[in-house]
Amino acid sequence: MNKEASLADQSQAYIERYGVTPAEASHDMLLRMIEDMFADGLVTEVEPFPETDREFSKLLDVLRPLDANALREKLVISGWLLEPYGPDQMRCQECMYFLVHKRWCDLPELNLPAKADWWCRLWRI
Amino acid sequence: MANLLWLQGGACSGNTMSFLNAEEPSACDLVTDFGINILWQPSLGLELGDNVKTILQKCISGEIKLDIFVFEGTVINAPNGTGEWNRFCGRPMKEWVKELSDAADFVVAIGDCATYGGIPAMAPNPTESVGMQFLKRAKGGSLGAGFKSKSGLPVINIPGCPAHPDWVTQILVAVATGRAGDLTLDEFHRPKTFFSSFTQTGCTRNMHFAYKVSTTAFGQRKGCLFYDLGCRGPMTHSPCNRILWNRHSSKTRAGMPCLGCTEPEFPFFDLNPGTVFKTQTVMGVPKDMPTGVDKVGYIKLTAAAKGMAPAWAEEDIFVV
Repeated sequence: MNKEASLADQSQAYIERYGVTPAEASHDMLLRMIEDMFADGLVTEVEPFPETDREFSKLLDVLRPLDANALREKLVISGWLLEPYGPDQMRCQECMYFLVHKRWCDLPELNLPAKADWWCRLWRI
Repeated sequence: MANLLWLQGGACSGNTMSFLNAEEPSACDLVTDFGINILWQPSLGLELGDNVKTILQKCISGEIKLDIFVFEGTVINAPNGTGEWNRFCGRPMKEWVKELSDAADFVVAIGDCATYGGIPAMAPNPTESVGMQFLKRAKGGSLGAGFKSKSGLPVINIPGCPAHPDWVTQILVAVATGRAGDLTLDEFHRPKTFFSSFTQTGCTRNMHFAYKVSTTAFGQRKGCLFYDLGCRGPMTHSPCNRILWNRHSSKTRAGMPCLGCTEPEFPFFDLNPGTVFKTQTVMGVPKDMPTGVDKVGYIKLTAAAKGMAPAWAEEDIFVV
């Protein structure tokens, strides 16, 4: 999958690799898809961190119209990482959007599974 | 018998509407059970034109004893401090307010506009609106910081947008029945009996606040509204979850974030786009912490609370 691939192409690629698209994938399958993308070298837009709510809202405006199958774009725009970030070691575990028991990011614009030690730039406490 | 006069300046009549919905006691109870004689009120008064003016003049002269002067809405000073944009009975309302306040035993400001300026006094404040004795947090307002009515009390402020009807009628009854001495006011002249606790006190979403589970979209039947949807319940002094609205609910119980309308700064952030229904943060940390909580403590508490949160806290619990 490359950046230019259309959503349809991306969906087809998911089906070929996993037998299912992100929109239909189970929690564990989505986790696997995310981890595989990073293992394949996915680089996300970690900076700039949205310091103000206006900057934060602009990111949400970009994320909101994305299709549920646009998993790669969601991860890139949100600055997703599979590790804590920054000198304060910010991580999903303390983020307001993270549901600890469900291991789920409840931010409606992301709505993805996550792990406690992951992070993204939409983090807030 | 206590004579009460109620006038309205820069207002939407919301506090009058609220007052007319009072239940404990009701507006009728004030008259029938507590001996309050309503000389005139914008929605209840029968007199018109010169007949109203005569009542006001008699109150100022002392021919009619004015026990309680209630004011709703801002005091308008525009243009250029004249107050001509809000004329009433042949003169600027601000002049009636000054003279009637001097004549009254007690002065009661109802609603956020009369108390602190509210929405009309928001920047750029084209009507040059002020509250009776405050402009937002600054003392002064229309009557001046040092104003005291004949009873020796400053303006009794009952803020809110609107004020809860029972806050209004209960304070009026206290004053009319000679129990004003029982009232203690806070630094913003709010009766402490109502405004020492927080909106959060009694909120049914408190469990979610404790376990740091957030409501992330309107309509969710779980989560606390403070973390993401801009609820000001933990920082706002009001009894909205102790003295319920319509006897059975409140904004936060219905899933609506508290807007902080009983605080002098209301409306917060001058209603700039993106500031309403969105918790304001700096680097992901709320700008306004729950009262008395510092940033370090907040972060530590969050880490501990999320680590201990039970599974049910992530589920909808207010199911139909």
